[in-house]
Amino acid sequence: MTKQRLNLESPWPHRLAVLLVCATFPLIWVGGLVTTYDAGMAVPDWPSTFGYNLFAYPWQTWLFGPWDLFIEHGHRLLGALVGCIAIAFVCSVWRNDHRFGMRAAAFMALGLVIVQGALGGARVLLDERQLAMVHGCVGPAFFGYCVALAVITSSKWKPVERDVAKSSPQRLHRVAFLTVVFVYLQLVIGAQLRHVSVMASPGVFRAAVLFHLFMAVVVIFHVFQLLLIVKQHYGSVTPLQAPVTWLAALFLMQVALGCAAWVVKYGWPEFIAQYSFAAPHTIHAKSLFQSLVVTSHVAMGSLILAFSVTVLARAVRLVRMPTVALGSSAFILELAG
Amino acid sequence: MVMMSKWMWRLTPLCFRSHKNCPAADSGIPVLAMKNMSLCFPSSIRTLPLLGRVVFALWLAAVVGCTTKAEFSQNAVYILKQERELDAEFSDQQKRDLAEILAGMFGTPDAPNVPKLGDVEIAKVLDATHLHVASGPVSSDERGRARGLYREHCAHCHGVTGDGAGPTASFLNPYPRDYRMGVFKFKSTPEGGKPTHEDLKDILTNGIPGTAMPSFKVLPNNEIEALISYVRYLSIRGEVERELVYLTADLVKGERLLKMAGTGRSEQAASLREVAAGVVQKWIDADLQATPIAPPDADRDLAASIKHGRDLFYGPIANCVKCHGDSALGDGQKSDYDDWTKELEPTNEEALEQFLGLGRFILPPRNIHPRNLRQGVFRGGRRPIDLYRRIHNGIDGTPMPGSFVLKADAPAGTKGLTKDDIWSLVDYVRSLPYESISRPPVIEQAYQRERL
Ligand code: HEC
Ligand code: HEC
Repeated sequence: MTKQRLNLESPWPHRLAVLLVCATFPLIWVGGLVTTYDAGMAVPDWPSTFGYNLFAYPWQTWLFGPWDLFIEHGHRLLGALVGCIAIAFVCSVWRNDHRFGMRAAAFMALGLVIVQGALGGARVLLDERQLAMVHGCVGPAFFGYCVALAVITSSKWKPVERDVAKSSPQRLHRVAFLTVVFVYLQLVIGAQLRHVSVMASPGVFRAAVLFHLFMAVVVIFHVFQLLLIVKQHYGSVTPLQAPVTWLAALFLMQVALGCAAWVVKYGWPEFIAQYSFAAPHTIHAKSLFQSLVVTSHVAMGSLILAFSVTVLARAVRLVRMPTVALGSSAFILELAG
Repeated sequence: MVMMSKWMWRLTPLCFRSHKNCPAADSGIPVLAMKNMSLCFPSSIRTLPLLGRVVFALWLAAVVGCTTKAEFSQNAVYILKQERELDAEFSDQQKRDLAEILAGMFGTPDAPNVPKLGDVEIAKVLDATHLHVASGPVSSDERGRARGLYREHCAHCHGVTGDGAGPTASFLNPYPRDYRMGVFKFKSTPEGGKPTHEDLKDILTNGIPGTAMPSFKVLPNNEIEALISYVRYLSIRGEVERELVYLTADLVKGERLLKMAGTGRSEQAASLREVAAGVVQKWIDADLQATPIAPPDADRDLAASIKHGRDLFYGPIANCVKCHGDSALGDGQKSDYDDWTKELEPTNEEALEQFLGLGRFILPPRNIHPRNLRQGVFRGGRRPIDLYRRIHNGIDGTPMPGSFVLKADAPAGTKGLTKDDIWSLVDYVRSLPYESISRPPVIEQAYQRERL
């Protein structure tokens, strides 16, 4: 096998990309916990942990120490793991794939991990919540990017069964793209809700909540439009069917989780609170159930992003105008990232 | 970089003030305009391409949560109240003096101070170590000793100053407590008394069912203690602030609360300390003031007691029906306000407008509703002695009145309730969730007419 040959048979880039997704998902999840428990400053230094090297920190203290130290240090360890996987991914792409676009895409993943790690470190060193915000926004973007990499490197991607669209695919592409954008925006707004400064006025939080609800409506609209388009016009494109169905189903679940998150944090809204079933409700701050619901809502958000990215990537790849030449994967990545 | 920030700046003018105070009001496109809040996109957004708009929206989202240094805010409502009464404005100097005196006595949200008040044993209610743990930004050290507890657990509802106007407040009903008046609802002391240590601890561990106030059972005891201290700290600070504002209103024009130099300065400082001492003393006294409760007669005939309680409930002396309604669903008097809202003079339109104009941290008034007693949900606790205290002492800051309790040697015919009467009311209230709602209440006919 020469260096120049395209070794698309190697399963490793895809395996590593999937591993990257699998490791990033809990990373975001734990990152959410860090905010829930306000553990961001549980460890005041970086990249060391209380003066120890990240990996040399005594594991007994970590596992059996205070909870916020546990999640903050765990978040760092997971982050380091993701970094290592990203390095492995770059190596494997470099070996197996000579295409410039693919290599650039792999390096970009590594670059993002590094930037994200540095942002997290700066957040700790400068104790700056604004940075925590940016850190929190890049997290899901990186996750979406990893999903795109996993889709692109998969074996389903390679046999290009270009489906000649009956109707114009532009609408499908547009709706899929906008879905990704809005889902991502929704994640970002959601993060704002959780990070809102205690000095902010009630109006700021109010605006963020209304914006979040408004965006939920926008996303619903797009997700179901997407479902409709795919089911009506592209029933034959099998790789699109499952993700788009999942997308819609998860989204409905997400709405329910969102309502539940509000109730466990702030109680029933007034028009419901008067009913007997709701009246005795007592909020239990920082209880296991509360953080479970809230964190599930956050995690589900990332999952929805993952599915919307999958739909977008596959739609762009599989459904094309007959006259349009095959674009480079970099273009797709640009859309997906 | 400069280019970049310039570009960002051009896109910045979103603001969360009333629309008229917004610097971008005339050049921007209002996206959301509500009471006390407006959000404008700059006009230039129209000319931005799609990508630009998306980037802008992202950036907007990032700015929404933008952080400011934690600071105590001034009780603008109470100042305006005095100004309206005086028909004169406080000078900037006077306002600065107020802030300065308070900062001198109580420090800042990051570095609270326990003022030294001579004989008054302030350490009994404010513990400096507790305050240190509860204050400041959220953080913790390697041994898991937390700091910034108040900002972590409470400030997003109760506000950094304890003004009850944290970011989430406008969605909650009732609004989170504004501690600054020093008025608390669910406590064991008589009307006007401060809550005891035990009262605050009960609230923090049990929460307040049916409201947004959470239970903090999961917190270790020392953190609860620290938070209790901090609630007292914010209350005392708020009450002292009110006293000082009141004193300022009394000053001859041009005079200052705190002379910078010259004669009388130390007397002035001493009298200011006295003001604070008066406030603190009430908190110290509270722990001895809990209403003593004689247990009910264990052999009483419960059915008869309930019936008696019911007669009282609908009768002219206790007159619970006036507010709680004919069927005790809490639908009697629904147009009243609590004391925190009454500060805004909600029934005086001109005044209200002026108060609401004070800025983004003034929450619009809402009516207080008497409790629906048929749900068996009691915010101040559901034990009989909790209910006894509510009925005996009333609920401070709300229309719910205390009872006029007869002394044992009161002459016959005096209007009022005996202790047994109150226990009967408790029995009745406790039986209400099980009483059939369709059974028409026995209301004294004459009284019924009188009430209407
Ligand atoms: C989710 C919002 C929320 C949070 C968080 C919250 N509170 Fe409250 N709190 C409320 C509301 C709402 C009330 C008013 C309840 C009422 O009037 O019946 C209240 C009332 C209170 C009262 C007054 C009880 C009384 O008897 O009048 C105290 C004291 C109090 N809270 C302390 C705290 C402390 C300390 C914390 C943090 C550890 C905290 N709260 C966190 C919403 C909150
Ligand atoms: C002037 C109106 C008024 C009258 C008269 C009145 N109440 Fe209330 N009551 C209220 C209001 C308002 C509340 C709700 C207070 C709050 O915000 O928690 C309340 C609350 C209560 C509660 C709930 C306490 C808790 O812990 O949740 C009980 C019990 C109660 N009232 C019993 C009575 C009884 C018994 C009487 C007659 C002796 C009575 N009330 C008379 C206005 C009134």
